[in-house]
Amino acid sequence: MAETEAPRFFGSRVSRVQDDRLLRGHGRYVADIELPRALAAKFVRSYEAHASVGDIDRDEAAEADGVSAVFVGSDFVESEIRCVSSYEGFQISAQPILAVDRVRFAGEAIAMVVADDEYLAEDAAEMVFADLSPLPVVLDLDAALEPSAEVLHDGWADNAYVRRAVKTPGFEAAVSGASHRVTIDLNNARHGAIPMENRACIADYDRGTQRFTLYTTTQIPHLIRAGLALAMDVPENRIRVIAPDVGGGFGVKAQLYTEEVACCLAARELGRPIKWVEDRREHFVAAHHSREHRHRVTGYFDDDGRIIALEADIRVDMGAYSVFPWTATMDNGMAMGILPGPYKIHEYSVTGTPVCTNKTPYGAYRGVARPAACFSIERLVDQIARHRGLDRAEVRRRNLLGPDDYPWHSPSGLVYDSGSLPESLESVLSLGGYEALLTQQVEARAQGRLFGIGIVAFTEQTAHTTQEFKQRGVPIVFGYETAKVRLDASGTAVVSASIHDHGQGLETTLAQIAADRLGLDLEQVRVEYGDTNQVAYGAGTFASRSAVLAGGAVTRAADDVVAILKQVAAHDLEAAIDDIVLETGRLSVKGSPNASVAISEICRLVYQRPERLPKGVESSLEASRTYDAEPGTGAYTNAAHLSTVEVDPMTGKTEVLSYAIVEDCGPMINPMIVEGQIFGGVAQGIGTALFEEFLYDENGQPLSSTFSDYLIPTMTDVPDFAVAHLETPSPFTIGGIKGMGEGGAIAPGAVIASAVEDALSHLGEPVVNELPLTPERVLAYIDEATAPGGPR
Amino acid sequence: MREITVTINGKPTSATVSPRLLLSDFLRQDIGLTGTHVGCEHGYCGSCTVHVDGASTRSCLTLAVQVAGRAVDTVESLAPDGEALHPIQQAFQDCHGLQCGFCTPGLLMSVAELAGTNPECGRAEIREHLAGNICRCTGYHQIVDAVERALVALREAQVDG
Amino acid sequence: MKPPKFAYHAPTTVREAVELLAELGDDVVVLSGGQSLIPMLNLRLANPTDVIDLGGVDGLGDVAARDGGLDVGAMVTHRQMETNDLIASTAPLAQHAAGFIGYRAIRNRGTIGGSIAHADPAAEWPAVVLALDGAITLTSAEETRNVAGDDFFESLFTTAKRPDELVTSVHLAGRFQDNWGFSEFQRRTGDFAAVAVAVGCVITDSSVVEARVALAGVAERPLRCPAAEQALTGPHTGGAAEVAAVARDSFEPVGDSHGSSEYRKRLVFAETHRAVAQALGSDIESIANA
Repeated sequence: MAETEAPRFFGSRVSRVQDDRLLRGHGRYVADIELPRALAAKFVRSYEAHASVGDIDRDEAAEADGVSAVFVGSDFVESEIRCVSSYEGFQISAQPILAVDRVRFAGEAIAMVVADDEYLAEDAAEMVFADLSPLPVVLDLDAALEPSAEVLHDGWADNAYVRRAVKTPGFEAAVSGASHRVTIDLNNARHGAIPMENRACIADYDRGTQRFTLYTTTQIPHLIRAGLALAMDVPENRIRVIAPDVGGGFGVKAQLYTEEVACCLAARELGRPIKWVEDRREHFVAAHHSREHRHRVTGYFDDDGRIIALEADIRVDMGAYSVFPWTATMDNGMAMGILPGPYKIHEYSVTGTPVCTNKTPYGAYRGVARPAACFSIERLVDQIARHRGLDRAEVRRRNLLGPDDYPWHSPSGLVYDSGSLPESLESVLSLGGYEALLTQQVEARAQGRLFGIGIVAFTEQTAHTTQEFKQRGVPIVFGYETAKVRLDASGTAVVSASIHDHGQGLETTLAQIAADRLGLDLEQVRVEYGDTNQVAYGAGTFASRSAVLAGGAVTRAADDVVAILKQVAAHDLEAAIDDIVLETGRLSVKGSPNASVAISEICRLVYQRPERLPKGVESSLEASRTYDAEPGTGAYTNAAHLSTVEVDPMTGKTEVLSYAIVEDCGPMINPMIVEGQIFGGVAQGIGTALFEEFLYDENGQPLSSTFSDYLIPTMTDVPDFAVAHLETPSPFTIGGIKGMGEGGAIAPGAVIASAVEDALSHLGEPVVNELPLTPERVLAYIDEATAPGGPR
Repeated sequence: MREITVTINGKPTSATVSPRLLLSDFLRQDIGLTGTHVGCEHGYCGSCTVHVDGASTRSCLTLAVQVAGRAVDTVESLAPDGEALHPIQQAFQDCHGLQCGFCTPGLLMSVAELAGTNPECGRAEIREHLAGNICRCTGYHQIVDAVERALVALREAQVDG
Repeated sequence: MKPPKFAYHAPTTVREAVELLAELGDDVVVLSGGQSLIPMLNLRLANPTDVIDLGGVDGLGDVAARDGGLDVGAMVTHRQMETNDLIASTAPLAQHAAGFIGYRAIRNRGTIGGSIAHADPAAEWPAVVLALDGAITLTSAEETRNVAGDDFFESLFTTAKRPDELVTSVHLAGRFQDNWGFSEFQRRTGDFAAVAVAVGCVITDSSVVEARVALAGVAERPLRCPAAEQALTGPHTGGAAEVAAVARDSFEPVGDSHGSSEYRKRLVFAETHRAVAQALGSDIESIANA
């Protein structure tokens, strides 16, 4: 960084560099890209949840107006998507590109129509007739594990992808010494990320060079390239994946999809670009779902409400197939690991079962299992408070990890690097006005109103890399990210990164880091990403890792480039390298203010006046580096949320009145962007808490396939937010930065459930244990609270 | 096929279209104005919002033939190329009112309508007016900040002008 | 999600429109605002051979006073209903209800005539028409006739309108302008009502001399609730809970993924309570269980 001054950009609320093009309508999303001679694809999808596939009559469709081809499963049978966990006993699923002999969820693609435009493709898709013979459906994760359940994949023993169990050695002894215990069952409805941009891809195949170019809406271009190479048995140097502007991801665009493979295969077959733009109804049934967890948790605690041991059983409905690159174990593994959360719990026993059902495959969604884990542990802590007659804030004070507990080796084997949990709890109580709210609640109750307060503290594992992922049983270990920094002859910089920005603002935050390190202005740095031709490899953007890992890689690469600049400047200024200081726009000799040279002049020399370079210096101002945030166990952000709600006693409708957040994600590169990430996550979490649910009928027909049936929070469903920050640096990362992209979405389900339970607590003591809290469910809790004889 | 003439962003434009062509597809594919985004095609998400004769309209719930003889304005009309951002756009940038940018063009057009019909409104009315524009990224808070700021800027511009 | 192929017709007069209707057969749909029809086309729930667009037809966009009430042209938009002064003064219930329909962009284009002809049982206008003793004017190539709102809505998306007829205007009575109530349960702003209740009363000397209570979302068509109307009629000093309980016990709504039958009955109670209380001008009681 410009070594004589404080960072000019790191820590500032600078406006985002990408906003200008997005605000003018000049963003370039996949659907906006037109390739010459491109054809439009439309998928014909199964209307049955489970069926054997007989004849598929495609003759009429193939003859229809404007149709080039109609593909069915037998055309693409050489390819499939497999993602195999290394966990012992993992049962392997193979997802066909188009269904071959069996469909396993309603929405699975069974044919692909390619035509001149989308209208004609859709016309022809209605003319494809598939003979589907229904088979027994498996829709409930517990029913799926019954011995009588239909087994969904050939050769499997049952419908468990795998069964896992972890127990600390001292667990049994701790349990026998505990004076109290509470057990609760919790249910989290299946829902999903639902970005505003549906999926889309364009596959282009060059017959001369035998190369594929796939434009696609993905968060993970290099992993898509890896997955395509495996699925199609094509070397990676024949595949280029480009993810241009992407309209939101949140995890759902972090998997390889069969449609991407199908478009590549069809493009090769037809010799023309194939463009597929998913429609919203397809997105609801065929883009991966998430969040469907069922937990049973038991807390063992002493008279003071201190937790001695935690026991849990975690089942997740992973749907019909294991997804690439996560496998079908990702949510289960994450929940098993993070369940003890922010609390000082030493003894832990957990079993976990990811389950196969006739539902849409299950992928990542912001927070990956942590919303369900937070819901379980926080609901449990609230029940402990109730059991011991303690205030909910007080029971947390007694159990939270303190500042002296780090590094904390959790009973599930995680290493928490640092944090400020008690301080964040106290801060949010004060920011949210907890004491005043307690008074307000008394007044509200006197008026017959149902007013409740929820409080939650949590820890967010971020930027976990090699050490963590090697334990997760995944086939590709998501370690480092890569960045390349290049200065050109005019003195401006291009930063290329293996991450992707689809709203997180990395195009700006990486530019902030690079500009500081290179002594340039923000406008002199251009950040590019989303093209496998730009850098060699990297995992992409997920798991709150990009600012830490790509930020670290940019720092390293920029520093390497600065070292070359200094070499050349020392030669040019006839000074010792160690005396050269980088300043904004210039390189100077320490102690000689007049001896300096512009960075742009050194850049010009390097490329255009090679005769003036010192011996051994090449004409290159480029460096490519990776960063793994060693030791790779993650940087732990922590936060506390406080919310108030009012419940309508007649209809059960819950309104979120206020929401306060105190978050500690270490030093912030751009606080404005940090706040945007928090607020966006919380709004999604309000969806989790109150609205979002993929429903099925008893035959496995999806009932939530439009925006009128699947309810996303709108502007009137989300309150204004209050936010404050703490900044405890991570000892493990460059700059002490921690990730924070997911945190906002983790806590709201737990907070709002706590608030709703609190709103009813003067009536009775139902345990609010199911999300989303639809008005009908809340009325049932009210009924339970007010039933004669008290709660059941 | 039908001949239509539409004034698009102030410019009279003639085209031959199929009656079933949606206005959203007409603008994006026939005219090349890809700033109008398609998020649901059943009227709920608001990403495709444009103005027809000055009133906000879902371009996915409008046939191109229905706008024959009318004026259609899209997000590209707010700030001509090479000129400064419109005060609404500038406020969105200043307040971080956008993230992925996909819903943004529709939101901007809804805000432009609000600025014309209810320029003095407060946060609750802003939220009510924009409830038909879903944003999945921002959590809305900074959008409401941006709209408040934009309405002030537009009022001040009016006083100055 | 693209519309299927259809032939498109753009008449400029009502006469031309009804002649097209007579001539083109049964698979014809009329496009007014399109805010219900075009989603159905995009989802391919409708596959008409022909679409007749009323957008260019003159004379369907006016609001006029008649017989103490209003004649509202079929192409009057929800937004006009929300902002028109005559509506506000003569049928404030209609003005109020308009604000609950969809979002601003939907209200800018959607029309009262289109909504009434579509006859979605959860929509606002059919219930408002019943509460305001409305009548529908239907025009065909042969005749123009008026059908009382009470006789118009027959079943799910089915009305007394013949295939060759066009809804050309809606009459709303003016005598409920002082005592009316409207309440609906929406999960989110702009959502279709799970239950909506519209109430029109005439109160003379502290006594309800006429009451109309209409509900949307409880059956396959909007329904009045005679028992609730009877309970509401007479010298009342605020019997919202009693009327609401009668309404609740009068229906067996069909349950679906948005709410069970039992839950919908609770909503009938809640929304009837609120609408009646508004109509009577009393305060809403806060305790649910009457």
